[in-house]
Amino acid sequence: MRQHLKRKYSLIAAAAALVIGGTMVSPIAAQAAKPSILIWVDAPRLPGAQLYAKIMAPTVNVKVELHAQGDLLAKVQLFNRIKKGWPDVVFGPPNDVAVLNNPLINDAMALDSLLPASTWKAFGNGNNWCKGADGKTYCIKNDLAQTVLWYNTALFKQFGYTVPTKMSELFAIGADLAKNHPGYSLGALGDQAANSSYFWPSQCPLNAAKSSTRVVINSHDPHCTRVTKALQPLIDAKVYDPRSPFDAGFIKDVGQAGKLVANIGPSWYGDFVLRPASSYAVKAGEWTAAPMPIWDGEKVNYSGEYGGGIYTVSPHSKFPKEAVAFAMFMVGDKRNLVTVTNPDGSHGAPTFPAYGPGNKLWAAKVNADTFWASSPYPAMAAQANKVFPGEKPVRYDTNGAWGAAFSPALAKDGNLQGALDAYATYISNLAQQLGYEVSKS
Amino acid sequence: MARVKKYKQRKTLMIVMLAPYLLLLLFLGVVPLIMAFFEIPAKSLTNPNGGFDAFWIVLHDFRFATAAKHVGGFMLIFVPLMIVFVIGMALMLDVNNSKWKKYLRLAYIIPASVSGAVAVLMWYVILEPTLSPFKMVLRFFGIKEATQIWQTQNLVYILAIMAFFAMAGNWILIQYGSLQSISTEIVEAARVDGCTGLQLALRIKLPLIKKYVIYMGVLVFAGGLQIFVEPQLLTTSVYNGIANAWSFDQLSYSLAFTTGDFGGASALSIMLLVPSLIGALLVIFKTDMFDEAKTPGKKLQGEG
Repeated sequence: MRQHLKRKYSLIAAAAALVIGGTMVSPIAAQAAKPSILIWVDAPRLPGAQLYAKIMAPTVNVKVELHAQGDLLAKVQLFNRIKKGWPDVVFGPPNDVAVLNNPLINDAMALDSLLPASTWKAFGNGNNWCKGADGKTYCIKNDLAQTVLWYNTALFKQFGYTVPTKMSELFAIGADLAKNHPGYSLGALGDQAANSSYFWPSQCPLNAAKSSTRVVINSHDPHCTRVTKALQPLIDAKVYDPRSPFDAGFIKDVGQAGKLVANIGPSWYGDFVLRPASSYAVKAGEWTAAPMPIWDGEKVNYSGEYGGGIYTVSPHSKFPKEAVAFAMFMVGDKRNLVTVTNPDGSHGAPTFPAYGPGNKLWAAKVNADTFWASSPYPAMAAQANKVFPGEKPVRYDTNGAWGAAFSPALAKDGNLQGALDAYATYISNLAQQLGYEVSKS
Repeated sequence: MARVKKYKQRKTLMIVMLAPYLLLLLFLGVVPLIMAFFEIPAKSLTNPNGGFDAFWIVLHDFRFATAAKHVGGFMLIFVPLMIVFVIGMALMLDVNNSKWKKYLRLAYIIPASVSGAVAVLMWYVILEPTLSPFKMVLRFFGIKEATQIWQTQNLVYILAIMAFFAMAGNWILIQYGSLQSISTEIVEAARVDGCTGLQLALRIKLPLIKKYVIYMGVLVFAGGLQIFVEPQLLTTSVYNGIANAWSFDQLSYSLAFTTGDFGGASALSIMLLVPSLIGALLVIFKTDMFDEAKTPGKKLQGEG
């Protein structure tokens, strides 16, 4: 019996040791005189963040962690529960600001007082996305993913096209391709490409949040149906592809086959989709970008956005000033924007900086790039302040929904209005689930 | 006295041998289950007031019914296919007495080594017309673009095929093993009585391994109900969105990690536990699976 008890106790002891050992792993927070901040970024932002940590080493302890963006919300909720662990500043997708700036989550602080008015002014419209319904600024926009018209100058010359300034002119090119140059394409519409390139610039109300509790979703608004009506015949004529621009088949059949004539896409499209050898691998000296064509009858040639990340600062941060300073380094310092070395050997920030002064530094880098037929920068700059402001950050996953509802429906029968309706139904459900009142106008 | 001592020793030994399992069961099974239960009433974006409404909210989630349809369709194909095919193959393997048997057994086990992420990658390549080594076959059926195959409504079939190839081989060998435990005397007696090969398989062998078949049915059912990896990989890295919240487990994952609704995710997880638990209880109490180790043949012998 005694032996039995002994064994029992030793088991308990072993279990207790396990439990205690587990808690010992977390470090004891030492209140150092030197400020310390924890930064979470994704892979493209990592070289810049690591450089910042090195530069700041004498004055600020900067800890940089690579994190998976998808699970931020889940992690923050766990941190909220144990009341510690929040990163001071996080780079994330644009919608994060609405998700985090929710009373239940409460992990995005108002940043207005942390930077001088002149700095905020230098963002122009670039930081409008971060403005909450209460007029306060809850994030700092890293980059703009404004859409521009990417086009192949060699094919334009060969087919005798001029650069379209109106959407109707672009669609006329599409009709001509269908008739006289079958097989050539104006791009793929699957996933959120259709939104950032067409629905959003056309002011189609899909995630038009009017407040933190009301959103307008109406796929039958005339601003939406003018898109579906114009594009449907060109989808049927195979000028627009229902696949995703990242579909292996599309990359091979169209992108790499040199069949792409023009493609409305975000400012990062050139360096991330058109150019890489593993992607469309377009020829050097052929491509450049033009400003967005304008919808007939409109006054402004709006852009949409495909991505465009943000920095949020946790209200739990002990050093919010230092946290904001990091974000400003990323969007405004030459050492990150131009000189930092990336793992692939390239230099500088990969995307269009949202902050005016930082953007000027970055412009020189793009203008010096001889890959393009002419610099695509002027077109990007022309669109930078023209992202249609009706689309807003919302608490539900709008981008995931393009994949979940729109793409499968479009792939099924190529019916653009049907696919858009499927998307609208899906996000209406999501929005209601998260406490939004959904209306059509 | 000596007997009591011996009994105690045996008992201690039993506890020691069970301890690793019990610890794992406790920390990775029972504790998470209790935690999940207490997590349900937590406040979240979808359940702002908290409380056990979480069950109701999950049941009325607009993705719940479609997930049920998907998983139900998948199981209707996958479970019967597995049982019929596996038992059929095992019975045939048991009849065949040639020297090729060991190579056959190896051949069955190979596809089983391709599962999860690797299986997704392999089937993606096979069914993607631009990459497929079977382009000709796909062309013959008029399939030239991936969108003709890779559609949400086809996933029931694609995933059933994927899961079937990943799991059938192992189960064929397990059932072959259970057939091996049948006493040769019974088989020979049947033969002497003029039993044909088919009669032997269906009338003698099959009833003798019945409980193993039920056991397999329950495990395959529970496994199928919890399908997660394959559709999740497809939807996150192959065709964005093709299988978003396609299965119950994915819906639970999506609730927890995109909506941050731990309560709803816990409620769904506990609901999913019920059918599997019923299955397990059926195996334990309604079959003699876990009776004292008697092989079917021996038992019959004893009775005879």
